[in-house]
Amino acid sequence: MTGAPGISAVIKLLFFGRLGDSAVTAPEFFEASEGLTASAVRDALAIEHPLLVEALLEPQVLVSIDRVIADWNQPLTDGCELAFLPPVTGG
Amino acid sequence: MYRRVVVQNEDFDLADEYRRLRQLDAAIGAVVTFCGLVRDCQQQARIDSLNLQHYPGMTEASLNEVVATAEQRWPLHGVSVIHRVGELLPSDQIVFVGVASSHRAAAFQAADFLMDYLKTHALLWKSVEIDGQRSWVEAKDSDQRALQRWMQSSTSP
Repeated sequence: MTGAPGISAVIKLLFFGRLGDSAVTAPEFFEASEGLTASAVRDALAIEHPLLVEALLEPQVLVSIDRVIADWNQPLTDGCELAFLPPVTGG
Repeated sequence: MYRRVVVQNEDFDLADEYRRLRQLDAAIGAVVTFCGLVRDCQQQARIDSLNLQHYPGMTEASLNEVVATAEQRWPLHGVSVIHRVGELLPSDQIVFVGVASSHRAAAFQAADFLMDYLKTHALLWKSVEIDGQRSWVEAKDSDQRALQRWMQSSTSP
């Protein structure tokens, strides 16, 4: 998709709730090698987005891959949608 | 078993929703309905508006999971859950839960259970605007504690 060497997966990133406020400057798409995990994506964001990563490190934050709750260490695939979900407050 | 799960911006009509449940089946002896409204006060501050964010597709799936748990636990004929999203004002209707069963105990308990679980499991995020400032609502420990009673008892009436 990008043609850059070493990149085989483009992952869509979504940040919900208060995480969205910390993620205004975060990229919408993340280019990575296939098999990278959500926790690796989080760590890679740390350099440019320290406040966001601080918020993502809170233990109650969950991740979903393609709209299914997933483990932080589940491998990501090209074209997948990775969402970061803070504690919910509906009802 | 009838199930209606909807996430929408639009308002809903309590009478319409009750009618749907009532008409399902002549074996229904009880319909319990609950409407949640937007309170104008949040921690002693008067709110101008409330906004609910959702994750299309996944929010509906999370609501369906909660409803499925209630269906397994009580003998129900029908369940309706409507959650509104987007911009809401004080006194607006925000959530509807309706349960139809043969007997009232199951209907009351399932409706109560659905609201407790929806609070902590539905993928929805609330923000409020107070004096022109928007802030995210924090998850409450009391909502988590409310789940405990459903974990301790496995009773179906």
